[in-house]
Amino acid sequence: MTRYILRRLLLMLPVAFLVTIGVFVLVRLSPADPALVFAGEERDPATIAAIRAELGLDQPLPLQYVAWLTRLGQGDLGRSFMTHQRVLEAITERLPATLELGAAALLFSVSIALSVGILSAIKRNSFVDLAATGVTLAGVSFPSFFLGILLILLFAYVIPGRIFPPGGYIAPGQDLGDNLRRLVLPAVTLATGSLAVNLRQVRSSLLDVFGHDYMRTARAKGLRERTVIARHALKNALIPVVTLIGIQIGAIIEGAFITESIFFWPGIGRLAVQAIPSGDYPVVQGVVLVSAFSFMFTTLIVDLLYAWLDPRISFETARV
Amino acid sequence: MSAGTLPVVLRVPRADRVEALRYFARRNPRMILGGALVFIWLFLAAFAPLVAPYDPIKVNVADSLLPPSGAHFLGTDDLGRDVLSRVIWGSRVSLSVGVISVSIGFLLGVSLGLAAGYLGGTFDLLVMRGIDALLAFPALVLAIAITAALGPQIQNAMIAIGIVAIPAYARLTRGQALSLRERDFIVAARTVGARPIRIVLRHIFPNLANALIVQATLSTAFAILAEAALSFLGLGPQPPYPSWGQDINYSQRYLPNLKWWMSVGPGVAIFTAVFAFNFLGDALRDALDPRLRRTG
Repeated sequence: MTRYILRRLLLMLPVAFLVTIGVFVLVRLSPADPALVFAGEERDPATIAAIRAELGLDQPLPLQYVAWLTRLGQGDLGRSFMTHQRVLEAITERLPATLELGAAALLFSVSIALSVGILSAIKRNSFVDLAATGVTLAGVSFPSFFLGILLILLFAYVIPGRIFPPGGYIAPGQDLGDNLRRLVLPAVTLATGSLAVNLRQVRSSLLDVFGHDYMRTARAKGLRERTVIARHALKNALIPVVTLIGIQIGAIIEGAFITESIFFWPGIGRLAVQAIPSGDYPVVQGVVLVSAFSFMFTTLIVDLLYAWLDPRISFETARV
Repeated sequence: MSAGTLPVVLRVPRADRVEALRYFARRNPRMILGGALVFIWLFLAAFAPLVAPYDPIKVNVADSLLPPSGAHFLGTDDLGRDVLSRVIWGSRVSLSVGVISVSIGFLLGVSLGLAAGYLGGTFDLLVMRGIDALLAFPALVLAIAITAALGPQIQNAMIAIGIVAIPAYARLTRGQALSLRERDFIVAARTVGARPIRIVLRHIFPNLANALIVQATLSTAFAILAEAALSFLGLGPQPPYPSWGQDINYSQRYLPNLKWWMSVGPGVAIFTAVFAFNFLGDALRDALDPRLRRTG
């Protein structure tokens, strides 16, 4: 296993390197001059030249990249052009809110997908199954921001008593009850897309497992149906679901950009979205980089988990 | 072999075309429904100037914020613009971004995948690491980053979504090209001296067509959703031009006043368009590419 992990980490290096080049080039593609953005109202050519030298923009691109990468290695993501705050600091300040939202969405998506998926596979073609299939079909095509708006309309304005507020964030340390109340709508909005995909996977992999001989053997030796499903069916059916949850983490990261904007949730997605119109590239660059690296690491962890869960996957021969 | 033992070929009566179509529709209701919805949206986009009842950008303050009625089926927005007309015109943006970005992804992804799969070696290694790097970004985050860097414009949204679509085509094509490369008919073509470009275009590519059609349909659905998301974040076409995502974003400020119709029109439009392509893609996958068919 250690060798497999090392090999995976080693293979990740060139990809990580390419990702940094991609993010660096992306920002340099921008038609806006960072020095002008950084200068703000200042238009004195001498000052702008000084800023350009200070930001290293007068250097050739490869040198700029090496300098940027070196700073990146030291955890320095630069400073925001607008607020002049350190980007790493701005991200770490907002990360807990994003993580809370992401965890809540994942928990919601996985628990509903498992319970409804199992029910719909056991009672195939029942009302629950048909309803679940309908939700699955609609869920993958439903834009999350439209769902968010419908939820706000319904729970914050149409239904009297404002069950859930339309947006905003209160730190859990400040008022846990209010924090959770504000978490419900964004978490449901963020979860819906991945819920649909997970539900479909739980159902279809359970149905797939039901056809195997060991299921018939388990039933034939007189086990109760509950035991057959819990011990024999679920254990095997959930292996592909684990991979899928890993993929969904990517969906949750990208969904956070939109969901946080709708619900005024002060996470890293909203930080990036707010930075875009003002041309605050270090912030956008930082958030994109953090998103890509978190996604790469979760994919790695899920792959390792998958190999650990399913002994048939050999660490030596597994395709990377 | 004597003439007496030749197999008897029964004359098969020519199937009635209408009956055949009916049979097809009965067997493939999803393809019919998905196809019909796709056709309706394509028709509305193509004939928007003729179909839309009003000018989508003409301000008419006297008619502002009217709820749905006989005169305005989906109501009007705060500037008195007809929501239905904006939805119909908005389909032009969504579908053109869908089609063009998928074409960009298709052309680049398939070319890279074919070349990598057929040539193998260092070229394959380099291309696939590049594809891995693209896949390291969550898709929408990459599209947002590219559009943010290039500037909020519809053309840039197309480029961004097209780039994001490349890995799916490249991986699909490369995988198939790798397995086809060793098949007898390819070896035969090589043996008679066919040049690599001819082998790739005449022998490998046609064998991929079905899987690629399915992928293109499904990625159009993604492209429409991604365009709507970019527009929602202000990275698509700029006001006053109608665009579904941007109109939903704009409608947000009227939620406390319960002017729900401003959001519902474009929201339902995005949903039905994405649903249509997803539905059609799923049905096509079952019909054209049994290897990819899901269980359950």
